Amino acid sequence: MSQQITLYTAKICPYAHRAEIALAEAKVEYTRFEIDLRNKPDWYVPKVNPVGKVPAIAYGGPTVPADQPSPESTKLVESLVLVEFIADLFPESGILPKDPVLRAKARLFVDAVSNKVSPAQAAVLIRGEDPEQLVQAYEAVQALLPPQGFAIGEFSAADIAIAPFLARIELNLANDLGGFPADQGEGPKILELLRAPKLARLQQYFKDIQARPSFATTFDKEHVLASSKRRFAELRAKKYGA
Amino acid sequence: MVNTEQITFYTHIYSPYSQRVHIALEQAKADYTPYTLNVLDKPDWYAAKVNPAGKIPAITYGGPKVSPDTPSDESVKLAESAVILEFLADLFPDAGLLPADPVARARARFFLTVVDTKGFEGFREFIFLGHAMAPLIDGYAALQALLPPAGGFALGGDALTIADMAFAPFLARTYLLLSVDLGKFPAGEGKKAYAILTSPRFARLQQYLQDVKANPYWKATWDEDTQLAMWFTNPVFRRK
Repeated sequence: MSQQITLYTAKICPYAHRAEIALAEAKVEYTRFEIDLRNKPDWYVPKVNPVGKVPAIAYGGPTVPADQPSPESTKLVESLVLVEFIADLFPESGILPKDPVLRAKARLFVDAVSNKVSPAQAAVLIRGEDPEQLVQAYEAVQALLPPQGFAIGEFSAADIAIAPFLARIELNLANDLGGFPADQGEGPKILELLRAPKLARLQQYFKDIQARPSFATTFDKEHVLASSKRRFAELRAKKYGA
Repeated sequence: MVNTEQITFYTHIYSPYSQRVHIALEQAKADYTPYTLNVLDKPDWYAAKVNPAGKIPAITYGGPKVSPDTPSDESVKLAESAVILEFLADLFPDAGLLPADPVARARARFFLTVVDTKGFEGFREFIFLGHAMAPLIDGYAALQALLPPAGGFALGGDALTIADMAFAPFLARTYLLLSVDLGKFPAGEGKKAYAILTSPRFARLQQYLQDVKANPYWKATWDEDTQLAMWFTNPVFRRK
């Protein structure tokens, strides 16, 4: 495949992170363009993604600077659609195996991430709701894991779907960041629940993910932390008063 | 390569999600055994042996040939209609469920995402929760806008792909229920929504539905009279 790939992304965004991990797994050359989500360039919505979100891929067309996207490239959005797209373009990447049953198992795991982990993460970390939701989401995902290794054995789209969320949940809670009041030890308290012995398998799984180069090279912890601090300071000011 | 593994399909005709899988199985010309699950009084073995979430559709794949109500531990159990559609596309690569081209596949999956978000939310909000009709109208406007203007199915061809199989069951039930003012909405609101969906603004969508209904694999899975009779007796919709 020799068509150009330009990825519009943002380091803070877990959905965009999925696309970056997939491209790293595929070991392909592509153009990475960081979008400041708080200050989007005015060409982004009309020329790349009418919904204004990341990730987005401009595929094919002439080689142009990323900030002057060509109408001739195909624009694709939705992180899970993009991961499948990269798997289709680069079948030897292993993002999805060849066996239909294993592919289905990977997709069922992705489904559990979308239906359990994402909503629980928003409820607990953004809206400050009962952390038990997140514990249950983690338990549900853990129950799908084999005794060792990644979700379907080898690293796949299943792990790509969850990795950015596990990383940001851990980072935020460890730094007491979330939709709960600051300086009351809430964050670390919730993190302790997620590190309970009954979630040992998931903790090991997360360690294995963190050791994966495609994850490690695409997660800028310092940048994400700085963004999170700013974001939750604003959220808390609104919620609890400055 | 021909699939020789057994496929058992747990379903019920009311379910638009089940119909997705049914159409795919038909188009793939799969050798499968359908089993209608009594959704109002589910047997204990279903959650225990087929789908812990207790929902349909589900399929068992492989393992020895057994009767559907005694599933084998050796078969693979799959649930979630979108996952099953992709599985069947992988199992039957020549059935046209998904094209070979990666960009076209991405377009099909994107369409499916919009069906499952905007499309479904509008359907549920108005017909099953009786809330305002705007999300339903807006959802169908968004999906109509994704259809190729000149005609054909979601990817432009004259054969169904998983994008259409995901969408059409919801679309057909919407037109059917609204045409007879059946739903949780206040009396008369269904007919109002139907008037909007049958207006020139939605000409392209109506053409699409007509094209779907003429498709042989759709026809094999849809009996309008049976659907209507069933929805009329659905206790969820009894209005005082």
